[in-house]
Formats: sequence, C-alpha cells, structure tokens
Amino acid sequence: MILAWLLAFASGFIALSHEILWYRVYSYASQGAADAFALLLAAYLMGIALGSYAARALCRDADLPLRAVAWLLAASALAFLVPPAVAWQVTLLDAWALTLPFVVLAAGLLGAVFPLVSHATIAPDARSGSRISYVYLANILGAVAGSLGTGFVMLDRWPLGTVAWALACVSLGAAAALVASRTVPRAKLAAALAACAAGAGTLYALQPLLYGSLYEKLQYGSDYRGQRFAQLVENKSGVIAVTATGTVFGGGVYDGSFNTSLARDTNGVSRAYALAGLHPAPREVLMIGLASGSWAVAVAALPQLERLTVVEINPGYLELLPRHPEVAGLLRDPRVRIVIDDGRRWLVRHPERRFDAIVVNGTMHWRAHASNLLSAQFADLARSRLRAGGVYYFNATGSKRAARTAADAFAHVLRVNNCIAASDAPLAFDATAWLRALRQARVDGRPVLEGGVQGERALLTRTLQQIEPEASLRAGIARAAPITDDNMGDEWRAADR
Amino acid sequence: MQLYCIFFLSGFAALFYQLIWQRALFTLYGTSAESVTVVVTVFMLGLGLGSLAGGALSRSPRVSPTLAFALAELLIGACGLASLPVFRWVASLTPAAAGMEVGLPAFALLLLPTLCMGATLPLLSSFAIARSGSVGRSLGMLYFVNTLGSAAACAAAALAAFGALGQGGALQLAATVNFAAAAWVLAAFRGRGASA
Repeated sequence: MILAWLLAFASGFIALSHEILWYRVYSYASQGAADAFALLLAAYLMGIALGSYAARALCRDADLPLRAVAWLLAASALAFLVPPAVAWQVTLLDAWALTLPFVVLAAGLLGAVFPLVSHATIAPDARSGSRISYVYLANILGAVAGSLGTGFVMLDRWPLGTVAWALACVSLGAAAALVASRTVPRAKLAAALAACAAGAGTLYALQPLLYGSLYEKLQYGSDYRGQRFAQLVENKSGVIAVTATGTVFGGGVYDGSFNTSLARDTNGVSRAYALAGLHPAPREVLMIGLASGSWAVAVAALPQLERLTVVEINPGYLELLPRHPEVAGLLRDPRVRIVIDDGRRWLVRHPERRFDAIVVNGTMHWRAHASNLLSAQFADLARSRLRAGGVYYFNATGSKRAARTAADAFAHVLRVNNCIAASDAPLAFDATAWLRALRQARVDGRPVLEGGVQGERALLTRTLQQIEPEASLRAGIARAAPITDDNMGDEWRAADR
Repeated sequence: MQLYCIFFLSGFAALFYQLIWQRALFTLYGTSAESVTVVVTVFMLGLGLGSLAGGALSRSPRVSPTLAFALAELLIGACGLASLPVFRWVASLTPAAAGMEVGLPAFALLLLPTLCMGATLPLLSSFAIARSGSVGRSLGMLYFVNTLGSAAACAAAALAAFGALGQGGALQLAATVNFAAAAWVLAAFRGRGASA
C-alpha cells in the first residue's frame, strides 16, 4: 500500500503542478480572461477522465498496471513541452483555445495513474472502498503539495522553464524509483535509470530554446518576429513584461507605460493629472493599482497632496520602478507609501482611513476578477471611505456597465476619457483649479507644464475634450446593467470584450 | 449505467461549487497569490478528509453506500444554496484575515461540503467494485464519469452558465443537480445491495 500512496502522491503533485504552469501560460495568452481558467480546467479534467477511462484496458492482470504506471510517469515528463507548444501554436493561429488538446493529451497520461495503482494494490473485497480512500487521499495530498510547492514556492523563485524542467525531473525520478522498487534485472534497471537521466539532460538542454522567448510569442501571437522584452518579472503573483519602448504588460494585457510628461502623453497620463480639476484639494489619496507608477507620480506631483497610499497586488512592479528614471522618484517620496495587497481587501481592513480621492487605476473590465473593483459592492465600499466632497475616480476601460454602477452609487458622475469620476458632492471639471495646480506641480523638481501659455492652452483644450458632463453621461449609460459581485460584470461574457 | 450517470451529475455540480466558491472567497479575502493558494489548498484538503470519511463509511456493513451518497449529495446541495450569505457573514466577522490567515475561515466554510464531495468516490466505488469484482475497471469508470462531469461543468460555466446566471443562479443550478442525483440514486438503488 505504501507504494500505492507514494505513486498516487507523485501523480497528484505532478498533475496539479503542471496545471498551475499551464494556467500561467493560458492566462497570459488570453490576457487574463476569466474563461481561460475554466476552459483550461475543462481540458485538464477531460484529459484526466480519458486517462482514467483508458486505464481500464490495462487492468487485465496484476503486473501490467504498475509497468504501465512507470511508462506513464516517464512519459508525463513530456508535459514539459506543452507551454512551448502552446506558444508556438499561438504564433500560428492567434487562438489559444485551439491549443487545449495539448493539455488533454498531457493530463491524460497522469489520469490513468490513480485507477491503475489502485487496481494493482487493492483487492476487490469489502475493504476496497476504504483502501481507495487512502490512495485518493494521497493523490489529493500530492495535489496540495503541488499547489503549495509549485504555485507558491517554485514559481516565486524560478522562471517558468526551470519549474517545468524540475517537474519533468520529478516525473522521470518517480518512474525510475518505481522501476527500482520492482524486481527487475540489473541491466534493465540500469537502462531505465540511464534513459531517465538522459531524458532530464535533453530537456535541460532544450530549455533555453523552447522557453527563451515563450512570453514574447504569447504576447505578439502571429505578429511575433523575434521581439524580446527588455524586462521580464516572474513571481507567484504573475508575469510582468516591459518592452524596449517602455510599454508594460501585466499578465499579457496592456498595463501602461513609463511616462509622466503631459507633452508626450503616450499613456493617457493626463487622466491622472485631471484629478486636480475634480477635487479642490486632494490631500489624502488612495490609489489602487501601481503598474508602471506613472499615475502615482502624476498624483504625487499635485501641490496639495499630503499623503498618497498606493495598493498594488503584484510586488513585481516594485522591481521595475528603480530601473525607470521617470518613476524612480516615487520610492524616495516621503509622502508616498506603497502597500502590497489586494486593493479591495486593504480597504476592508482599514475602516479608519478616509480619503479625498480614491483612484482606481484598474485593469480591463473583462479580465478575471476585474469586477471585484467595479461592482456596486465595491463602489459602496469606496463611498464609505471618502471624506465629505471626496471623489471616487476609476478607469472604467470603456465599460458602460462600470460607469452605470458608479452612477447608481453616487449622486454625481462625469467622464474623463475612459475614466469615471463619482462623488456625492456636485461634480464638475474646474479648469481654473486644474491649471493652477498643474502650474505648481513638479516631478523630480521639474515643472509638469511645458510650452508656455500656448502649451497650456493646447493642453487645456485636449483635456476638456475628454470630459463628458453628467447629463450626457447618464443618458448614454442608462440602458447598461450595473455590475455586482454576483453577476461578475463582463468577466464571463466573451462576446462583450 | 445509471450509477455512472448519477456520478457524472455529482462531478458536474462539484466543479460549479469549486469555481464559484473560490471566486466568492477571492472577492471577500482578496486575489493575492497567498489567498488563492490557501483557498485551493483548503478545498483539496476537505476533499481528502472526505475521502477518508467515505472510506470509513464504506467499511461499515450497516451503512448503505448509495443512501450515504444520496445524503452527501443533499448536504452538498443545501450547503450550496446557503453558501454565499454564509460566506459574506463569516467574512464580515473576519475582515482582518489576510494571506495565510484566510485558511481558517476558508476551512470552516468549505469543510462540510468538501467532506461530502470527497466521500462520494470511495462510497460509490465500494458499491461498484462489489458488483463488478474489479477495482481498476470500476474505479476507472467512476473516476472517468465523475471527472468528465467536472470537465463538462467547467465548459458550461465558461461558455454560458456564469455569464447568464451569475454566482447565485449558478449555485441554484448546481444544487438542483445535487438534489436530482440524490433522488435518482435513491429511486434506482434503494434497498439494493452489492448483489443487485
């Protein structure tokens, strides 16, 4: 029975670990779409199911199942090839969902292990259910170890290719250990061990070739022409990539770029500076979402600011700041405090804090978990943390539903480009206050406004063009359905992306 | 064949719960890597403990595996219907929980339903093995249909159910499936032992 437990544990560990790696790949390829996880899980479970079904054919005698398990474990090392295969196919077809058969195939190898091991070690008597429960428990504990060991530890320390190779080694090691535990001729055992070692060595040698530009392939798809990211941060929270031109991709989706200049507004940073026209004196500001840090620098540049708390869920963004002079000063600004946490949870955990403005520089409204920061429940939470006259200002990323949700929660709303400002106090863009604040605003000691009076006029014209007043905005969103925690907005509505 | 259809339904409902409960707990406790790992781990630990419980029940000659299975499905369905308000209530009592601290409330919330889910495989496999005389063939088939049901649930969730029904509606659907599985197993197998 101990052999059965060990094998079930190993197969659970390997299978769930690969699922975590595959999720990272599919999440990136799909730009974090909510259905990517469910469809990946469907393919993974389909593979496990088919493997389990196929195992029935191998249950004819007592010895065959364990031999089959040894082969299956060894073959599962080929799961190492799934991420590169997905990336390669994405560059051909631009359709990540079409690559799911790779997952079915790889998961199928491990799906057969549990029934085969049970068949080989458990007699079909009155205690069979009880013994199966132990094997099943070992399989689940292996999966738990995979979740913790791979998802929490390995992915936080090693790049994807190294983790995939380590898992291939576990597969080959488990197969070799199983062969060694059986009474096989010494020559056969030596051949099996040598084959496993050679397999591990081959995959190690292939790793740079197969994984070297994996994220670039997933990012650019059929437009991939050998581009390389200038920076890549991988950790347990996800993957952040920066292009040579300073564009940031978080989990495969555009996440801004390193620019705080209003004159070269390549990233819409004027939306962040617009806060100066939405609140007369934003002294205490909460910002959820750091990303490139450009928005935080813009808000910190406003002359009235006394304290800016930035909550960011992925600590990897902190690694980027010192390397980019446009935003590096943020780390030296005593008024700025950056916290690594989930933004919504941080607000829940700090009921004592009140803000003049809560700025949510969030992600695309259709991404997984995006509605946690766009729902009516979150709008109510944000509202409860505002001082009198406070403004809730968030990037709706073009979602009418998100705008409608805020319009329902607050007495007044207006739109700045694709951002929505909401408040219980009357809300209008005060161009005079905005201009006065920006004339005083400094980034690293340099004035924010450039180009003299003409430059100011041009900028004001551009900014005012981005403003949609309340009546027009409310009319445009009247038919949109509000987002709630329950309906999860557009996360599961692929057609609405 | 009926047994396999019933176990397909059981697997279908279980994955709906897993997806929705994880999502609801992420909303309440955050989507940081720590919270995600803790919630997934707790879910699986509950399944593992349930497997032990199901195995222990299957040993007892006084316990009918099919009746125990039906009860487990009913309990899962009831937990499913009550889950979201209970989750929100517990989260309101534990607002400070973060990272690994999420484990305790998550474990408390998920223990009962995941225990029941984990118990179903050993219960039904002992019943099926007694009828077929083959561990591999019976377990392989049961594991196949149950996992296939889960795979179908994932596809249904992604392609239609979650977008159309939301969390509450999807939970009601899953609970209905549980109740149907319980009724079906009682109607088809009540009073029939391993020799039936």
